[in-house]
Amino acid sequence: MVVYLLRRIVAVIGVVWAMTVLVFAIVHLLPGSVAHMILGEFATADAIAALEERLGLNDPLPVQYWRWFSGLLQGDFGMSLTMDRPVGPILFEALGRSAILAGISIVLVAIVGIALGVHSAVHRGSVADHVLTTAQYTLIAIPEFFWCIVVILVFAAWLGWLPATGYTSIADGGVLGWARHLILPVSTLVLGLIAHVSRMTRSSMLEAIESRYVLAARAKGLPERIVLYRHALPNALLPAITVLAIDMGLLIGGIVVVETVFAYPGLGRLLIYAIDNQDLPLMMGGMILVTSVYALSNLVADICYALLNPRIRYGGATA
Amino acid sequence: MSAAIAMPAWRRLPLGLTLGGTIVAIVLVLAVIGPWIVPYEPDAFSMRERLHPPSAAHWFGTDEFGRDVFSRVLAGAHYSLIMGFGATGISLAIGVPLGMVAAFHRGWVDEAIMRGVDLMISIPPVLLGLLILATTEPGVAKTVISVGIVYVPIMTRLSRAVALGLLAEDFVDAARARGDGAIRILWREILPNAWPPIIVETALRITFAILLGSALSFLGLGTQPPASEWGLMIAEGRPFIEEAPWIALAPGLCLCLLLIMVNMVGEGLRDLLDPRLQGRGHG
Amino acid sequence: MAEAPLVEIRDLSLRYATARGKVQALDRVSLSLGRGSAMGLVGESGSGKSSLVLAMLGLLGKGAEISAEGVQFDGQDLLTTAAALRGRRIGMVFQDPAAALNPGMTIGFQIAEPLIQHRHMPERDALARAVALLTEVGVPRAESVARSYPHQLSGGMKQRAVIATALACEPELLLLDEPTTALDVTVEAQILDLLDRLRRQRGVSLLLVSHNLGIVDRLCDSVTVLYAGRVVEQGGTDAILGAPRHPYTRGLLAALPQADEGKLSRLTPIPGGLPDLTIPDPGCNFRARCAFAVDACVHPQPVTGVGGHMVRCHRAEAVRTLPLPVDTGARSITRKPDLARPLLQGTELSRTFRMGGALSFDFRKGLPRIVPATEVVAVDNVSFHVGRGEVLGLVGESGCGKSTLGRLALRLLAASAGRISLDGKAVPASPDREFRRRAQIVFQNPDSSLNPRHTVAQALRWPVVRFGIAKGAAADREVDRLLELVRLPPTYRSRYPHQMSGGEKQRIGIARALASRPDFLVCDEAVSALDVSVQAAVLNLLADLRDELGLAYLFISHDIGVIAHVADRIAVMYRGAIVEQGDAAQVLAPPYHPYTEALLSSVPLVGSKSRSLHRVRLAGDASAVPPAGGCRFAPRCPRHMGSICDTVEPPVRLGAEGHQIACHQPMEALAAIPPALGRVA
Repeated sequence: MVVYLLRRIVAVIGVVWAMTVLVFAIVHLLPGSVAHMILGEFATADAIAALEERLGLNDPLPVQYWRWFSGLLQGDFGMSLTMDRPVGPILFEALGRSAILAGISIVLVAIVGIALGVHSAVHRGSVADHVLTTAQYTLIAIPEFFWCIVVILVFAAWLGWLPATGYTSIADGGVLGWARHLILPVSTLVLGLIAHVSRMTRSSMLEAIESRYVLAARAKGLPERIVLYRHALPNALLPAITVLAIDMGLLIGGIVVVETVFAYPGLGRLLIYAIDNQDLPLMMGGMILVTSVYALSNLVADICYALLNPRIRYGGATA
Repeated sequence: MSAAIAMPAWRRLPLGLTLGGTIVAIVLVLAVIGPWIVPYEPDAFSMRERLHPPSAAHWFGTDEFGRDVFSRVLAGAHYSLIMGFGATGISLAIGVPLGMVAAFHRGWVDEAIMRGVDLMISIPPVLLGLLILATTEPGVAKTVISVGIVYVPIMTRLSRAVALGLLAEDFVDAARARGDGAIRILWREILPNAWPPIIVETALRITFAILLGSALSFLGLGTQPPASEWGLMIAEGRPFIEEAPWIALAPGLCLCLLLIMVNMVGEGLRDLLDPRLQGRGHG
Repeated sequence: MAEAPLVEIRDLSLRYATARGKVQALDRVSLSLGRGSAMGLVGESGSGKSSLVLAMLGLLGKGAEISAEGVQFDGQDLLTTAAALRGRRIGMVFQDPAAALNPGMTIGFQIAEPLIQHRHMPERDALARAVALLTEVGVPRAESVARSYPHQLSGGMKQRAVIATALACEPELLLLDEPTTALDVTVEAQILDLLDRLRRQRGVSLLLVSHNLGIVDRLCDSVTVLYAGRVVEQGGTDAILGAPRHPYTRGLLAALPQADEGKLSRLTPIPGGLPDLTIPDPGCNFRARCAFAVDACVHPQPVTGVGGHMVRCHRAEAVRTLPLPVDTGARSITRKPDLARPLLQGTELSRTFRMGGALSFDFRKGLPRIVPATEVVAVDNVSFHVGRGEVLGLVGESGCGKSTLGRLALRLLAASAGRISLDGKAVPASPDREFRRRAQIVFQNPDSSLNPRHTVAQALRWPVVRFGIAKGAAADREVDRLLELVRLPPTYRSRYPHQMSGGEKQRIGIARALASRPDFLVCDEAVSALDVSVQAAVLNLLADLRDELGLAYLFISHDIGVIAHVADRIAVMYRGAIVEQGDAAQVLAPPYHPYTEALLSSVPLVGSKSRSLHRVRLAGDASAVPPAGGCRFAPRCPRHMGSICDTVEPPVRLGAEGHQIACHQPMEALAAIPPALGRVA
């Protein structure tokens, strides 16, 4: 298992580093000079030259890359062009707020999704199963930004129960105020993902239920409850971990959209802001940060998988 | 021995396939002929008729510029379809050969391709799309290409897995024992057996490609105004969600319908093609 | 004094729904099993034997319709009480131990579960009992094994663990569904010994489902023979296997290649295939395939018999002395192999595989070190030759490298070292078209050897065209000729693989191999996936083709009976090396290599109980890594001579007429070994 984890850690480091190269390359190698992009079409040649000098854009690319990268390693993400503040603290503050959304969402998705999938599989062919399966088909296909609009329309505009936008910290609005701002964004985030996870869990649970070892467990005379939940379920959960890891990626994509619609001051919204306003250091730093978070979450998933799968945890033969 | 069941062919198909397929076909037709049958010009401003609710004259109402929403929805249908089929087509055209080559050659070619795939899969799809689009002039073509690139790794992985499974079969070894070359084996033995799972995945990818493309347009990075792409229309209708919800709801509901139907077609294809794959051989 | 039987089944019928309609899987099956006795349930695929056992335990799904006049276990109705008896008074052992064990739980816990559940034992006591059970079933280091997970054990160990689980609550009845089919022959022999011992020591009754008549003969007192869901013959083992009455049973025994019968002229296959179970036949359902069928067979057949030997056949007495028709084959010219010049010669062939990635870490000695990945030597410096028209049988257990050697011989796999020559000419690593034409292969698994998207005509035509044998209309005629060669009608041209049975698919595989008019065929377990009755037909076909076309075969199999039947010469492989080779008669008789001795004495043979046989049992299995440099069989060899076996590569001893044995023991000692088979042809 140690070998497996070491390999995964090396892979994570490699991915993050490769992302820095990728981000840098795309930004700097695409047509149109960077300064031109920032200043717009009508900038004078002098202004462009001055900006290029100021940003160190005349140095050879590897030097520029190294300057940026070594800064990254020390935690210095550069200066924001639009906010005139260091990028690092801006990013991390926004990250914290996004983390709340992501954390609550992934927990909800895991619990509700797996529970629904297991129930569907155990009661295969029942009304509940058919309803859930049909719901899954539809929910997976509905775009998040549409859900956001509908939800805002219904709950904020028509019913007025919940605020449509914004965020208050616990300090300012109390726990209730804080929670009220989170309900709508979280619910739009989790709907499609719960459908996905419950679908995958259902099929892996069905596979476990129809396996030989479950038949053998029944042949041992174990009660059905134990057969399902002690024999089938743990083996069905392993693929669910993999699915959840993939869904983290979809969740991140969803967060970008949801934060934009709900004007939630998180990292996703910040990223869009940076792109819209051509704030390159902010954008580059944001991309790296998000990728790192995703890579780390995949690593956590791999660790969980390794711990729960005896084949990886113990390897080798004893007899 | 399996005997053909004596039922009309279409009734043997899964419901999702026929229902979904019909609706998708209708949307396709509408998308193609749409620009010619619109009751109003999609770009026609009319400040007197702004923000009118749905009525006999304007089935979906008008937006903040007085443009007929129904016409705009009809005229913008083709963007979603181009996104879905175009982007998926790109990912298919690049990903499948890449995966097959990786499976066939193993060794360092396989390693290199799979490391690249792993890297790209480590980036959340939306982010990758953003990255590519953020640094260039946005537009329809670029969006299609970006979404296509985003999904290349998944198609590569799938076709590699399918090809690996097939290469392990004995009939491939029989081909090698005949001295058949790599191209011939891929063409004659692998591909005819590989296309069912690849078709199923492609159909499902189309759903996600449309989703991603419209999300990017919604964020302002994809198709640009005044094009009436549905994601873009939803974004434009967002500020008026309380006073004129139909501006965003009309394209939104159409988008949902299209996506659900495409997904049903994909699922229907999977029901149709997968069990047959496992049903070969006799006890 | 008639003691009440433990299990009494009267007229059990089973129907369930499938895609093709409702299938009558069992039709009024009756049997009776006494306490402490063992019954074998014999049948081929589709006979319903596995369904019967699952039905007894109530483990069939919801769609199963069971009707019976009575199913009694110890006087109680089994169908209603099955759920309460499972694991408590009736234990079950499934076929594939890897699938029957939960991969996520320790062995010890899985064995302890029934105890915790049925006896309400505290977990600690139950685990201790589990360890004791493991020791009883012959598992060494039981405590360590109890803490292990299934993937860490070998196949034989896993099956012992499964047996321990079934015995945990001391049941009165053990149901075993093909318990040794997934195991190597030497391991199978150990398990059979174990079952025999358990039965005698604990007095537990056994109901053993198997297609292998040798195992049934070894373990069981009585036999029930099932055909297409009906009991066709029932009675004592000696009576049924010694003097079978029903034509199906007689056919089964005549189709069975037995190692101690050596190279008889022909096996007697049972023609035709299973009847369609969706349409139950009121008369005898075997008559379509029966050599003695008459018009009266259309009527329902009652089960009659005398002295406990029951038969469902109204002609059983009448045909008792009539011989079964022999499958003569169209043309039988028996060619003698031309041994003067070997056709294919392999010299010093080796092949190593690298396991895992390029590098890995080794933590065993404290600090991690980077070590190159472990290498497995699949084939180690093997030399062999096959003459024109000769059959070389390559026999060995799983992992011995025989399949690898077969592929090396055809250059389907690159050799790490060694040379191959065809007709004296060296064959390069990328052979030319002529070699490919002359050397072909037949595969084991009929489901995987044909492209599911190609019709028979497409599959056969392509090699014909590719090798320039014929083109256009001539190629079509050639396809017809090939179909005729393998005894299939021309209407099969347009069939797809999923429309054919296993035996038919295998014939097409043979036809495809013959399309290029080869001189040499590698048959890689070509009949191992087929039922015995079908296997006989394919073996006869292969023998006929050899006679007609002068083909040479490298015939690879794990089944000594099949090898003994077809081979002119035999080579025995163990862990990558040939330990003995020579004429078939020589290899099957002493002098033996110690492994050959063990292999031959492990094979369960029909009729072997009556002979006093010399039995050698190996411990463990082939996974123990032999010491570097020494004899690879040393860790398990019952005739281990001391440190020389562990350190020095054994020399090749020469016996009569090219008989070779690689052993440190002198030839005289090996010749003194008593024969492991009762009689040798």
